[in-house]
Amino acid sequence: MPLHCYQHPARPPFARCMSCAKTLCQECATQWEGIWHCAACLGARRGATVRRSAKASTAGAIVLSLILLYCSARVMVWTGALIAGLF
Amino acid sequence: MIRAPLSITSVLDDATDVVSMIAPWAAVVILTALPYRFLQALFLDQLFEVGADASHYGNLLGATANMIVASILLALWGRAVWARACRLAMSRASAPGREAWRVPAPAFASYVLTASATILAGYLGLFTVVGFFVAVLFAGLAIGTMELNERTGILAPFRIMVRYARTLGVPLALIFVFFCALFVALANLAAAFGLGIWLAGSIGGIDAPHWQVLFGSGNRRYWLVLVAGAIVLVEPFWIAANVVYVRRAGAVESGDDLRSWFEELQRAS
Repeated sequence: MPLHCYQHPARPPFARCMSCAKTLCQECATQWEGIWHCAACLGARRGATVRRSAKASTAGAIVLSLILLYCSARVMVWTGALIAGLF
Repeated sequence: MIRAPLSITSVLDDATDVVSMIAPWAAVVILTALPYRFLQALFLDQLFEVGADASHYGNLLGATANMIVASILLALWGRAVWARACRLAMSRASAPGREAWRVPAPAFASYVLTASATILAGYLGLFTVVGFFVAVLFAGLAIGTMELNERTGILAPFRIMVRYARTLGVPLALIFVFFCALFVALANLAAAFGLGIWLAGSIGGIDAPHWQVLFGSGNRRYWLVLVAGAIVLVEPFWIAANVVYVRRAGAVESGDDLRSWFEELQRAS
């Protein structure tokens, strides 16, 4: 393990990025979900999480829309039959 | 340029300007709405036909209802393109180009979700007249706020709609105005058909009396198609008015109206 931060050669090592294995000083190291990361790897990981959550939201919205439209078709028939029965 | 205070007249004035600017784009919303509206007319016709025995014709009515739901998706896409064209025309004060076709996917997905919910609420609220009009109000806000959804979410699009529903006066007035406009459009369409038959009667080879039976007040299908046609005609104005309302209400909220007014004063001085 190198004896200095990969970005700040004057600083002693504090942690190692668990994604790219670079040595980090206290300022460069960030803990996320209990794991140390450098800024670049953390950014990439967070970007992937945001993309994943956006995809999940879109899929959720599409599934919910289809369910609502299916229910609309059924309710349309029931309401129509009920109203037609009134006359 | 947003300067007049937010009111029903200012919204309608701006909506008229926007619609006249992008009139050719209305073809998109009209053509995509035609299958949906005419299938609705067919559904109502089938209901009148089967009458009190409707509960025995579930398969027939269900098949038409499924077709209606499928055609809704096409109609929603047409509305989304038109709403985007309205928004672009408002911000540039000129007709938009091809970019009006490129409706952002998150905005469209959010709109399909909110529109589906309001359609379901509309059918559920048919018995309670108030519930139906509330659904119409939110249907207008759903298309008006479509492009404010930068990310797809389950609850976020509904929150945006509710935010714009807080100033209830203008959206309710819009419903009233367009409800009246629907009758005007219906009367005009009926008159246009009558005039068409009268003119056709003067041309040799066309049996006008037979056509008068088909396009007469005694024909239920003719009236259903007329109502569907009137809704299709009014729809572009209704969507434009809601887009204008949401933009103007947002400008009042964010202070954009004062900023643009100040910039214009600076330019003038």
